[in-house]
Amino acid sequence: MRITFELNGKRVECEARPNKTLLDLLRADLGLTSVKKGCEQGECGACTVLLDGAPVNSCLVLAPQVEGRAVTTLDGLVDDPLMAALRKAFMEDGAIQCGFCIPGMLLSAYALLRENPRPTEEEVKTAIEGNICRCTGYIKIIEAIMDAAERIQNERP
Amino acid sequence: MRPIPSFSLHRPKTLSEALELLQALEDARPIAGGTDLLVLLRDGAVSAKHLIDLGGVHELQYIREENDEIRIGAATTHAQLLRSELIAEKTPLLHEAAASIGSVQIRNRGTLGGNLCNASPAADTAPPLLALNAEAAVASTGGTRIIPLGDLFAGPKMNSLRPGELLTEIRFPTPPAGSGTSFQKLGRRRGLTLAVINVAVYLCLEGGVCREARIALGAVAATPIRMPAAEEMLEGRQLSGELIEAAASACRDQVRPIDDIRASAEYRREMAYVLTRRALMDAWERARRDTL
Ligand SMILES: Cc1cc2nc3c(=O)[nH]c(=O)nc-3n(C[C@H](O)[C@H](O)[C@H](O)COP(=O)(O)OP(=O)(O)OC[C@H]3O[C@@H](n4cnc5c(N)ncnc54)[C@H](O)[C@@H]3O)c2cc1C
Ligand code: FES
Ligand code: FES
Repeated sequence: MRITFELNGKRVECEARPNKTLLDLLRADLGLTSVKKGCEQGECGACTVLLDGAPVNSCLVLAPQVEGRAVTTLDGLVDDPLMAALRKAFMEDGAIQCGFCIPGMLLSAYALLRENPRPTEEEVKTAIEGNICRCTGYIKIIEAIMDAAERIQNERP
Repeated sequence: MRPIPSFSLHRPKTLSEALELLQALEDARPIAGGTDLLVLLRDGAVSAKHLIDLGGVHELQYIREENDEIRIGAATTHAQLLRSELIAEKTPLLHEAAASIGSVQIRNRGTLGGNLCNASPAADTAPPLLALNAEAAVASTGGTRIIPLGDLFAGPKMNSLRPGELLTEIRFPTPPAGSGTSFQKLGRRRGLTLAVINVAVYLCLEGGVCREARIALGAVAATPIRMPAAEEMLEGRQLSGELIEAAASACRDQVRPIDDIRASAEYRREMAYVLTRRALMDAWERARRDTL
């Protein structure tokens, strides 16, 4: 099927079989390897992308279903100040080990802070419930997200 | 991972277009959020030649109140339910159930209609809607029929829809003043997990007397079910801790759970008692607050 959608702010037109997942389209066909392939069952969140700004598991979306919609991956937020603050906090607070879960984790955290700039710890936990990390034990990830929220807040006049 | 077997995908814009496709095409199946169906297709547990995507049928996404009745479109997502003030205020049990489903990612895609039509005995929105006495609107090219929600469930992972039919709406009376509800879910962990069992309760009080009681349990039988024996013990009576204890005990005797990977039948039976008691106490408390 011919599909047209917005990927990281740019219009993309491509061909995709109906049974191709958005994950395979992004990762294999379009080369966006920041979108990770984990369980392919909606359990791990490694494949998380933003669909019209909301986190979804790209392994549970069919490529033609994004027709006319906006998909955002980590690659599209390189220059975004909020994402920059999150990245910095994750690095400085030791929230990254192997890194496999991190793109998905950052996108879930980004979507949270966009809607809710000062989340409680409970709210942070809920936001990343769908992102499994095998390495860190989550504590430092939660701290980094809270920290990023604070940094962004302090930068504002 | 094995790839998803091939099918053709149709993306109607209106309900009537979707119903015509479903009627005309052989071996066709609706897909809403795909959070159940894509997993089943990949596993080979389900197959279909044609998928009819309800994602573009915006007329199936709404939450509204009309004439003391709340109506929800079948393609409404769990995230939309969670954001609805009407649902949070009037039916906290449905808000709590939606909040307990999967993860943010799953709630952004998964729909109410998909949760019910998938007909898992553990579906989290089923007990709350059974306790709210919900009805389901089922449409085909021939017209629409209204059935009690309980009749939608035919068995584990089996719904009663006929070929060519779609669930279009769930509706239930707005709970009146003096009513209280509760949803309780026990999982193997806090998040991202199907229920070992789930319980929903609706109570309506009139001067301390229980006018109406509805109790529904999930994952304790082939389908989500109401507990009429326990409900009768409460109706027309002055509520008390002892009476609630007795009604919860009756649920333990009525459930027919199975052993599976999530829990043993024996454990589920015991938890049916514990969670029903908890839900009844909670709903009672909320109903009393609502009466003040
Ligand atoms: C990681 C993960 C965690 C989950 N956690 C939970 C949980 O905690 N609790 C829970 O209850 N569920 C959970 N689920 C299951 C699932 O997300 C929900 O059941 C969801 O609501 C399904 O909705 P959907 O729109 O994605 O359905 P789909 O997958 O699109 O469809 C499911 C079935 O219903 C049919 N269908 C869909 N809409 C209609 C309609 N309008 N008319 C007729 N038939 C229709 C489809 O043909 C299909 O057979 C989880 C799933 C995953 C992958
Ligand atoms: S790969 Fe999509 S959730 Fe695991
Ligand atoms: S850092 Fe390794 S999975 Fe999270």
